[in-house]
Amino acid sequence: MDEKTKTELLTLFKNKLNRAMRYYLDTCTRCGVCTKACHAYASTGQVRYTSAYRHELVRRLYKKYFKLQGKVWPAAGEAKVLEDMTIKELYDAAYSCTGCRRCMVYCPFGIDTQMIMSIAKLLLVGASTEPELLTMLADMSIEKGKSMDVFKESFLTGIKKLEGQVVEKWRSEAGETVIPIDVDGADLLYVALAGAHSIIPAAAVFNAAGEHWTLSFFEAVNFGAFVGDPTRTTLILDRIISEAKRLKVKEVCICECGTAFRVMKHLTGPQPFKVSSITEVQARYIREGRIRLDKSIVSDTVTYHDPCQIARNGGIIDEARYILHHLTDNYTEMTKEPKYNWCCGGGGGLVAMGEETLDFRMTSSSIKADQVRKTGAKILSTACENCHTQLGDLNDHYKLGVDVKFLSSMVADALVR
Amino acid sequence: MQTLIYIIMVPMVYAAAAIFVVGIIIRLVVLLRAPANPSTLQIYPEKRPKWLWAIHDTFLFPTVRRHKPVLWVFLILFHIAFLLLFIGHLELFADFQLTQIIAHDIFLGQGFVGLTLSICLLFFLFRRIKSPVREISVPEDYLLLLLLFLTVLFGSQMDWARTWYEYGELTVEDYRAYLLSLVVLKPDLPFATTFSGHSFMLVLHIFFANLFLIFFPFSQLMHSILSLPMNKLRRG
Repeated sequence: MDEKTKTELLTLFKNKLNRAMRYYLDTCTRCGVCTKACHAYASTGQVRYTSAYRHELVRRLYKKYFKLQGKVWPAAGEAKVLEDMTIKELYDAAYSCTGCRRCMVYCPFGIDTQMIMSIAKLLLVGASTEPELLTMLADMSIEKGKSMDVFKESFLTGIKKLEGQVVEKWRSEAGETVIPIDVDGADLLYVALAGAHSIIPAAAVFNAAGEHWTLSFFEAVNFGAFVGDPTRTTLILDRIISEAKRLKVKEVCICECGTAFRVMKHLTGPQPFKVSSITEVQARYIREGRIRLDKSIVSDTVTYHDPCQIARNGGIIDEARYILHHLTDNYTEMTKEPKYNWCCGGGGGLVAMGEETLDFRMTSSSIKADQVRKTGAKILSTACENCHTQLGDLNDHYKLGVDVKFLSSMVADALVR
Repeated sequence: MQTLIYIIMVPMVYAAAAIFVVGIIIRLVVLLRAPANPSTLQIYPEKRPKWLWAIHDTFLFPTVRRHKPVLWVFLILFHIAFLLLFIGHLELFADFQLTQIIAHDIFLGQGFVGLTLSICLLFFLFRRIKSPVREISVPEDYLLLLLLFLTVLFGSQMDWARTWYEYGELTVEDYRAYLLSLVVLKPDLPFATTFSGHSFMLVLHIFFANLFLIFFPFSQLMHSILSLPMNKLRRG
């Protein structure tokens, strides 16, 4: 690695050193309590997948370049020079970590491995060795934000085609727009994913609840966050914030996408609108009596996988259970405490990277497959696109024999007039 | 030899104390001047009051109790024993009514506090040799445990000799005279601290303690100060 690149990468590193990051890098005692927390270690037994091992890779660079100990006595902390091999190790650590933060529950100090891995991911971006696909997808999202007029017509045409399927689930009153778009002054802006499955059930539920809503032009997923690029993350986020402000909405509702929800909820800062997940909104509709659900629709045993970014990292835990208890009397918990739920193994951009990561995703998540199997449930519900895809892959790979469903789809299918 | 003993017991003590205090202050200033994280780092579900739960997490190590109960027992014993030894050392400087609520001889615990600490440190040391803790450990981790073990061992030897074997050449009064002379910047080494049969233990105890204090601000030992704000971050 040439000196210029090294200097640039170390500047990126330095920019990430806020107070919390310094706490995390300064404090680990390598006590080993976190080792059992990672699903990848639990599934494979390889120490390189323990969270302490992962963040020690970053910590050794920190010691070398930003700590006196690393400069005076590098051997004590195994401080390490930044070189090409380091970049390869960082790639392995960063893209085998799903950012689920289960290890944070175990750590006696609460060290956030996902945050430390954000340094690794940023260094990979700086060295142009990040997964190309993720950067490409992030850039496409940003480009869409810049040239909305180019995409607008085809988007509107596509949405129009979905209206029939929405009406099949919930017949709107005559004259009402089935999927409203660009509604100035709407109460709620719904930010979906690029796919009918993310729009149709949600639209049916909004219409059933009599919500004054509007659909966002943009997809919720933030590939910038997956690839760990703060600039791209902010640019993608800003498209939605600008739209929400322009339409003067009171609430931005994020679809079933864990990363999108957490990024929107925690990174937007104070805004004139509140941020909710669709699970929260649907639970609210039930609580307020705006929608009613038919319990006879779901007859098999149902379990629920808490998406890490929505539950442990986003705080939406009780709402999903509230909905499920209105959907069925045959619900079984996957884990006694949702904050200890095993990650599906698909987060952090791994699912978005598709086939490239499939083998790793399957081998590193056998513990998740075992957890699902033990519930004895026939329906496995969840509220995150990544989790849904990963759980579907696990279902096929481990022959779990479950039906993986989105929670919002189950709500839409059980709507009662 | 006497020169070396003098260097260890006087200038090195001052240097170690200065590095310890200034080092920690600099580390804290750097930390406090760094910008706060723009978003919450909280884990859910949340419990209130958050500060109280952060204190609970910091001092009772509930996650260790749950996931590594044997380690937790040793950790709790270690930290309690460390606190008692700290109080014991304070009592070498002066008499404190507060610490004498339960009347006791100096040191507390009749030698068993040091013994407990030594056993705990051996446990911490040997558990590092086993996978997967071995793979994540760095030399610093072993070094600190060794330094602390040697400090505790030589310090406790003096305590054990007085308490268990009625060794009376090196007394609490001798320690107190030595320490107070350092505090008032008029260093004086009482005869017993350098010429008694067990004075080498005191010299080695102080030597390893000096090294420990010097290394403290630059090592993972900062967890003793940073654990509370970090646990607060997790609690939100």
